[in-house]
Amino acid sequence: MSESVLKDIETLIELFESSDWSEMKLKTAQFELFLSNDPNARNVISETSTAGLARPADVPAATSAATASAVEPAAAVVSVPDGHALVKAPNLGTFYRAPKPGAPPYVEVGDRVEIGAELCLIEVMKLFTAVKSEVAGTIREICADDAGLVENDQALFLIELDA
Amino acid sequence: MAIKRVLVANRGEIALRVIRAAKALNIETVLIASSVDMDSEPARLADRVLNLGPGPATQSYLRVELVMHAAIAAGCDAIHPGYGFLSEKSELPRLCDEHGLHFVGPRADTIDALGDKLQARALAKQNGVPLVPGTDQVADVKTALAAAEQVGYPVVMKASAGGGGKGMFVARSAVDIESMFDSATAEARQAFGDGTLYIERYVENARHVEVQILGNGEGEVVHCLDRDCSIQRRYQKLIEEAPAILVPQHVRDAMQAAAVSLASGMHYKNAGTVEFIYDIDARDFYFIEVNARIQVEHPVTEVVTGIDLVQEQFRIAAGEGLSFNQADIAASGHAIECRINAEDPARDFVPSPGRIERWAPPAGEFIRLDSHCYDGYLIPPYYDSMIGKLIVNGEDRAHAVSNLAAALAGFELTGLNNNIALHRFIADSNAFSDNTFTTKWLENVGLDAFKQATA
Repeated sequence: MSESVLKDIETLIELFESSDWSEMKLKTAQFELFLSNDPNARNVISETSTAGLARPADVPAATSAATASAVEPAAAVVSVPDGHALVKAPNLGTFYRAPKPGAPPYVEVGDRVEIGAELCLIEVMKLFTAVKSEVAGTIREICADDAGLVENDQALFLIELDA
Repeated sequence: MAIKRVLVANRGEIALRVIRAAKALNIETVLIASSVDMDSEPARLADRVLNLGPGPATQSYLRVELVMHAAIAAGCDAIHPGYGFLSEKSELPRLCDEHGLHFVGPRADTIDALGDKLQARALAKQNGVPLVPGTDQVADVKTALAAAEQVGYPVVMKASAGGGGKGMFVARSAVDIESMFDSATAEARQAFGDGTLYIERYVENARHVEVQILGNGEGEVVHCLDRDCSIQRRYQKLIEEAPAILVPQHVRDAMQAAAVSLASGMHYKNAGTVEFIYDIDARDFYFIEVNARIQVEHPVTEVVTGIDLVQEQFRIAAGEGLSFNQADIAASGHAIECRINAEDPARDFVPSPGRIERWAPPAGEFIRLDSHCYDGYLIPPYYDSMIGKLIVNGEDRAHAVSNLAAALAGFELTGLNNNIALHRFIADSNAFSDNTFTTKWLENVGLDAFKQATA
């Protein structure tokens, strides 16, 4: 997480404390932030995206919202190191790494991607939608299986941001 | 059971209700949930949960292709739509047919036919179900007077070309028609470019009464008696009861027979409700529409008949037919349901989502509670404001009303604006306990009295 992002978060917390709001949730490409005045507040964001973010002691910690499945376990939680971003599925669907069967994948681990680069396809009832990168960096991990079902918000790629 | 694994395509209390019914029949459950519902009570109870999409329903629960994809990917052989959302979108049963899944609801063609008002009215007429008496277009005052005489006063004159009250007036006698016909025609012409009027019987004092039906899809239909849902606000039902005891027995018999005739005539499959307006003064009933789904108020019927309607839905969808005959259906006692809504009585009952502090509903012999709420639950802002249903019964209506008042008195809900105080007020009112209210009572009398009492 860069210095400027941490500054932004500090400012947001100050603004929240001086407001009469009881809850705030913010989601960007790099982080999700959940603030609440209620000590019993139950979480709304997943651990994955808040890892590495130090929270002031007076802000209740977010807990995981991931609900385990009894039939098949949900995808493992991916931790996001500093200076990295996760690309997540925008909705439920089938994850495809290549534009068509037999073709080379859009990206491999180690590839550098620009903002707007196509990373994969998500298919819903034969309708294919490309997922594009919102950051520039290097693919460090491919977190989902090719041709497998992915859920909304599931981690697809871990990208190390350009310095 | 021919159904092994069902996709529950809904949320909240009805998702919970469907999951429980499925479990009782040893059917595995896969729940789809938006990202804000992943931590919900139904998500905890289901065998598997799939995060479908973001919170807004248009990005999750209303996306038929996402729902279908989830059902196929999770290996489901059936989809239960609950009520609302996709329950009356024929695309879902159509896709189920294409992909060999059972849809736990009516056929696609049934949903389409009943969703079209004119087609539904034509079907009703064709199957001998009475419509509000009226006439075709009336050309002038003279024909209007003759037609009104035939229909019987009071009548309402409406513009053929449009709604919104333009060109509409209520006539209680011939004098009213003579004095208002020309100006109403002019008003309709100005508003719609066509001044043609038609006449309908005006139902001044009405009850909303409906018949629960179940059909096997091959013409066999049984009814599970009736409900009275006349405590309404802005056409939203607030309190429902079963059976509809205000309606004379011979009228109820005719109404139930009409509902069965309509459903049987179209080979209705699964659960449905035929809605009627009951004219208290004329002691007559007229067709409104058919709801091709399980309804919010189904529990009052379950309580008095002992039939589990959602389990019957699964049996019908699996092709197993009904577990009972018409002769098995009888009412035992009386049941009343209150819809608990997260809304603000001080701000004209606008939806008021937020976090529940304390959720302590009453419990006891006469009480059933259908809800997904708990202490600390956050009501998301994206969905309906109904957060639970309190269903109370008694050996007769008087006992049910007094049990209801006691149950409401013991209902503790804090941290969130809600309508429990209004329910308490209604349960204590004479119009309710005497069963003398009409569909307009709450809006015209009850709400003002409630505001004064709570001011």
